Amino acid sequence: MLAALLAAGVIARLLIGRDPAIGSVNFSWPESNILVLRFGAVRSAIVGGACLGLSGLLLQALLRNPLASPFILGLSAGAGLAAMIAAWSASMVAAGAVGWIAFIAHGADGVIPGTVGSLAVLILVYALGRRGGRLDPLTLVLTGTVVATICGALTLLVQSLMPPSSRGDSWMWFMGQVPELPSSGAMWTAAVLLFCSFIASFRSGSALDAASTGDDEAESLGVSLRRLRILLFLCAGALASASVALCGPIAFVGFIAPHLSRLLLGSRHRALVPASVISGAAILIWADAVRQSIDVGAGRLPIGVLTALIGGPVFLMVMRSRQMRTGAWTC
Amino acid sequence: MLNIETLSFQYGRRRALTEITASSAAGNVVALVGRNGSGKSTLLRAIAGLTHPNAGNITWRGQRLERLAPLKRALEVAYVSQRPSLSIDLTVHELIALGRFASRSRLDSNLRIGQAIALMGLEALKDRSFHELSAGEQQRCVIARALAQHETNGLLALDEPFSNLDPGETMRVVGALQMSAKAGALVVVAMHDLSLVDRVAENIWWLEQGQMIAAGAPIDVLTPAKLEEIFHCEFVRGAQGLTLAARV
Repeated sequence: MLAALLAAGVIARLLIGRDPAIGSVNFSWPESNILVLRFGAVRSAIVGGACLGLSGLLLQALLRNPLASPFILGLSAGAGLAAMIAAWSASMVAAGAVGWIAFIAHGADGVIPGTVGSLAVLILVYALGRRGGRLDPLTLVLTGTVVATICGALTLLVQSLMPPSSRGDSWMWFMGQVPELPSSGAMWTAAVLLFCSFIASFRSGSALDAASTGDDEAESLGVSLRRLRILLFLCAGALASASVALCGPIAFVGFIAPHLSRLLLGSRHRALVPASVISGAAILIWADAVRQSIDVGAGRLPIGVLTALIGGPVFLMVMRSRQMRTGAWTC
Repeated sequence: MLNIETLSFQYGRRRALTEITASSAAGNVVALVGRNGSGKSTLLRAIAGLTHPNAGNITWRGQRLERLAPLKRALEVAYVSQRPSLSIDLTVHELIALGRFASRSRLDSNLRIGQAIALMGLEALKDRSFHELSAGEQQRCVIARALAQHETNGLLALDEPFSNLDPGETMRVVGALQMSAKAGALVVVAMHDLSLVDRVAENIWWLEQGQMIAAGAPIDVLTPAKLEEIFHCEFVRGAQGLTLAARV
């Protein structure tokens, strides 16, 4: 069903277009030059959405928190800030003089510094989100929200230091986008990271099920929690960073995709890992297709706004759900 | 054979266990007793290989469990914590099947899961969600998971497994634990109900403030005078075994 949803989303995104002259929506097979652009958007949405879906699932499973996602915990904001600092510092370094510094700073179109930023935020939120030695789901979310706000403010500060000519691009990126001409560095890095993380997560599916029983029980069942957490937190951070480098910070896709998958397939992680990848891609591609037909008077609706409008109410529903109230989700 | 030699453990600056020395052969039920905060849970976690002691060591069949790889250790020892938790929505059958995480044989696993479900009387509940069950039913599920996990001559460490059970469920669990011991396992149980300890355990390890104050058979350790000194309650030992007197 999720695969069908994704396939239908791909077709919809390829067919839905808008006549710029009159602003009306049309459904037709486009000319080849337009088709290339729409294929680019489809590729960006599939890879970016899949990264967000898998990152969200891993965070929810490892933190035993249904409210976790790369956006809500501030990973996306941390990745964005680090990538922005890297871009700014790279622009400050005289080209060729210290090329290797620029390469590290701006590595893989922002994915390398972004991963460092998202993991730094994850460690910070994890440390500050503990109350009485336990990870409280709501404290974790509140901490993530505050850290994300601080990172967002710092990103705006760094953005204001950048040359005026490049501010327009970074502003669009900051609002979230599905690029029709994605940078090949970000696209390839994201695709490779997605593949490696998918393999690691799928192979860890049974361990993630066992890890949901609590630290002592999981260790007693034979799970090496330390190894599992290091490996999969790295994957979650790298995936969040890859999606930010490709599409900017997009809200709630990483939160909704695992929940949609659980609703259809239950809670076993061997099924949830591929399902979250597919549903993340499907949600982002549908959001991109739908936004093509919404004109708010100043061009198309930014995709980050659309996903937040849909994801926000779902987040509130989960937060007020029976499982959260009864503490079944606490760890 | 389980050997504990001068084991000490502390949380930060607080000393939880001080130079504990004890041993027991397989095929026994050992009861860990003592007041709340006396160190029973810490000792049980150490026995299960889940903590590294600050001094001394614990060996099970000559191996230090905390040094074994988790997968290998899971085949030797099964542990049930005081508060069972599960953060995802699994059925009873799926939860019990987690007990076979470390096992490679699917055929053997299905057999062991079926036996554990039958032993704990969970046949009618096996397709229900774990979160929909009562506290007592959830307790039986996690005990079933431990029974499915441990090997016949392994080590079972249970932290207050009877706390949420009614008398019928308690006797069912007692029967299962005694059966495991008869089959060659060593069962170590932290518990508070001294009448039950008196009937179930072959050996008692009594902890107070992190120190072992007595060890031996129930008849030798659970004397009314000693119990009154520790718990300030009057106990009587009659034909029915040890019981709490009406006057407190």
